[in-house]
Amino acid sequence: MLTAAGVSKSFGGVHALSGVDFAVNAGEIHALVGENGAGKSTLIKILSGALVPDTGVVRLGQARLPSGDPPAARRLGVSCVHQEFTLVAGLSVADNIFLGRERGRGWLRRREMNRAVDAHLADLGVTIPAGTLVQDLSVAQQQLVEIARALADDARVLILDEPTASLADPEIDRLFAVLQRLCGQGLGVIYISHRLEEIFRIADRVTVLRDGRVVSTSPRQEVTRAELITRMVGRDLSEEYPARTATPGETVLELEHLSSPPRFADATLSVRAGEIVGLAGLVGAGRTSTGLAVIGALRASGTLRVRGQAVTFSSPSAAIRAGLAYVTEDRKARGLFPLMDTGANITVAFLRAFAHGGWLSAAEERLAAESAARDYDVRASGLDQPAATLSGGNQQKLLLARYLLKPRSVIVLDEPTRGVDVGARAEIYRIVNRLTEHGLGVLMISSDLNEVLGMSDRVVVMRDGRTVGELARGQASAERVMAMATGTA
Amino acid sequence: MNKGSRVPGFRGFRGFRVPGFGYAIFVALLVECAVLAVATDAFLTPANLGNVLRQNAFTAILAAGMTFVILTAGIDLSVGSVVGLSGMVCASVMAAGSGVPAGVASGLVVGLAVGVLNGAAITTLRVPAFVVTLATMLIVRGAAYKLTDARTVSGLPAGFGALSSSFASATLMIGIFVAAWLLLMRTPFGRHVYAVGGNAEAAWLSGVRVARVQFAVYTLCGLTAGAAGVLVASRLNAGYPRAGEFYELDAIAAVVVGGTSLFGGRGSIWGTLAGAFFIGVLNNGLNLFRVSPYDQLIVKGVVLLAAASLDRWRRA
Repeated sequence: MLTAAGVSKSFGGVHALSGVDFAVNAGEIHALVGENGAGKSTLIKILSGALVPDTGVVRLGQARLPSGDPPAARRLGVSCVHQEFTLVAGLSVADNIFLGRERGRGWLRRREMNRAVDAHLADLGVTIPAGTLVQDLSVAQQQLVEIARALADDARVLILDEPTASLADPEIDRLFAVLQRLCGQGLGVIYISHRLEEIFRIADRVTVLRDGRVVSTSPRQEVTRAELITRMVGRDLSEEYPARTATPGETVLELEHLSSPPRFADATLSVRAGEIVGLAGLVGAGRTSTGLAVIGALRASGTLRVRGQAVTFSSPSAAIRAGLAYVTEDRKARGLFPLMDTGANITVAFLRAFAHGGWLSAAEERLAAESAARDYDVRASGLDQPAATLSGGNQQKLLLARYLLKPRSVIVLDEPTRGVDVGARAEIYRIVNRLTEHGLGVLMISSDLNEVLGMSDRVVVMRDGRTVGELARGQASAERVMAMATGTA
Repeated sequence: MNKGSRVPGFRGFRGFRVPGFGYAIFVALLVECAVLAVATDAFLTPANLGNVLRQNAFTAILAAGMTFVILTAGIDLSVGSVVGLSGMVCASVMAAGSGVPAGVASGLVVGLAVGVLNGAAITTLRVPAFVVTLATMLIVRGAAYKLTDARTVSGLPAGFGALSSSFASATLMIGIFVAAWLLLMRTPFGRHVYAVGGNAEAAWLSGVRVARVQFAVYTLCGLTAGAAGVLVASRLNAGYPRAGEFYELDAIAAVVVGGTSLFGGRGSIWGTLAGAFFIGVLNNGLNLFRVSPYDQLIVKGVVLLAAASLDRWRRA
C-alpha cells in the first residue's frame, strides 16, 4: 500500500540512505530493524513526508505521496508516532488529539471533540478523561495519547517508532492487541523497535537496514534472532580499529551501585589505567546519565572511587580538578562555544593554568592551544577560526584537546564518533589508543556496536538503568551484547 | 558567519580589536558627531562637550556593569532604583555630618549589597533574572522613598559637587571602562563570562563554576550602579528618591546599540561606551535642533530599533 522505491538521501555528503526499496501492505505489520544510525529514522521521515528524498519515489496506493509536507501525508492517511513526544504539555488530551484540525468554526465544539476522543481512547483500552492536561499524565499514558492521536486521523498506514520504549508489559499487551485488531481491518503498520522479542511477537515481515541499505526483507517465520543480529551488525570488524597494546594498570575509576532514579538505577563497573571499557546498551538505558553522574553533573547515590579514594563531586568543576573529564555526545548543545574561536575553545577548561597573579598570559595560552591542536589533529585555518565552522570530526577532536589539555586519569567519552566521517573516526581511535598507552583510563559510551567491540578491552552492558553484565574482549560478540542489552539472553 | 562578533580569543589580547560590524557603532558615533559639528555652532564648544560628558557618564557607567550581565545572557532591571537608593543613602550620610568619603562609601555599599542580593537570588532560587531584578527594582525604589518619606535630602558638603565635574566624571568613567576591559579580556573570569553566555551547559561541563560567574556579574553590576548613584547625587547636589527612574532602560539600550547580544556570549565593553555616547549625542543634537521632547522620544525609539535590526540583518 505504502511503497518506497529506490529512495536515497544524504546529509552533507554522508549517505543516510542509498537505493532503499520498502513496502508495507494493507493489514500487515512490517518491522524495521537496524543499529542506531542505520537509516531507520531517515526512512520513516521520508515515508511520512517529513523529508524529501534525493532520489526515488514514495507512493501511497498508486498516487505519489507529497513529500516535504507531513500534514498532507497525514490527511491522505499516513500517520507517524515519533520517538520524541510531540504533545503540548499545557493542553488537554482532547485539544492535543485535535490540534491543528479542531472541530467547530470560531467556537470550539468541545463536547463533540471530547466524545470523539473518549471513543478513540476506549478503543485503545485507556481510561483517561479527555479533559486531562497532558502534563498530568504519566509517560506511558502520553505515549498512548500519541498513538490515539495518530489513529484519530483515520490512518491507512501507521508508523510507530519505538512505541514501547516507555510502556510496561500490560500496556504493551494492550497496544499489540489493538494493532492486531486494526490490521485485521486493513491498517498497514510499520513497526520500529530495538526489542527483537517484540518483533517476533507481532511482525509479519522484517526488514533489516544497515548503513543506509536494505540488507534483507523476510517473513518472520523464515528468520532467526541470531540471523537478524548478524545482518544488523554486518561487516568484519578486524581492520577498522587499531590493535590494543596497552596493558591495564591499577583501577582508576570504580562505580558501586551508583544510582540516580529515574535516569538510572544501579551502575556498577570499574576502569583500570590504560584500559578502554565500553559501555553499551540501547538508547535510554541510562548510559549518558551514568557518565554525567561520574563527573558530578548529576546527583547520584552510591559509591564512586577515583584511584581508590571515595569521592563525591558537587560539580564538573570538582571532577575536573580531581583529574576526570566527560566529553559530551552533544557537541552543539553541550560542547562547543560557537561564538568563540578554536583556540579559546581549547583552553577554556584550564584557563587558570595560564593566569599569573590573576592575569592571563596570552603567549602561554596560545602556545598550549597550538600544541594541543597539533597533538589532537584539530584541523583549522588558524586558532582564530570560529569553532562552529569546523567539521564534525574536528569539533570532536577539539573537545578531546580541551578536556585532555592537562593530564587526566579517567575520561568519559560519550559517543566519541557520532556524526564523524570515516577518516576522522580512525584518527580519533588512534588518539584514544595512544592516550591509553600513557595510562589513561577510558569509559567509552557508544551505541555503535562495532566501535564498542573494536575498541574496548571490556564491555559493560546497561539495560533499563542498570549494568546487567560484563564481557571481556575475547568473549564479547555482537550477538551477546545485543542479547544482554535487550534482555533476551 | 559571526563576522561582526567581538569574541574573546587570542587576538583580543593584543588589544583593541573590533572587527566587521563591530565597527558600525563607532562609525555611527563619528558620523553623528561630524554631522552635528557641521550643522550646528554649539556642538563643538567646550561647554557643550563637557555637558554631554557629564550628562552621559553615569549612563555609561551603568551600562558598563550591565554589559557583564548581558554577556552572560542575563538582565538587571534594578540598576535605576539602585541609583535612587544609593544616592539617597549617600546624601543622608553626608547630611548627617559624616563627610564626603563616608557618604560615597555608603552609596557604593548600597549598590554592592543590592548586587549581591540579586546574584544570590538568581543563583540559589533559580528564578529568572528578569523576575528577580524586576522585584528588586520595586523593593529598592520603595526603600529609597521610605528612607526620608520621599523628601529630598539637601544641604550636602560643598566639596561633593566636584565629583561630577566634567573632568572627574570622565576620569571615573574611563577608569571603570578600562578596568572592565581588563577584566573581560585579560582574566579567566572575563573569559568565563563569555563562556557562560555563549553556552552555559558547555561551560558547566568544562568546569566553569557558572553560578559563581553569575553571582559575580550581578554584584559588579550593582557596584557600578552604586557608583552611578553617587555621581547622580553629586550632579543634583541632593539625594532625590526618584533619581534614576528608567535609567535601566537607558543602560540596556546603550549595551544593545553597542553591539552586545541580548542572548549572551557576544559583545564588547568599548561598544557599550560608544553606544552610550551615541544615544547621548543623539539627545544633545535633538536639543540643539530644538526638537520637542515628544518627538525626541519617537526619534530615539526609531533609532534604537534601526540599530538593533541592523545588527540582525548583518548577522543573517
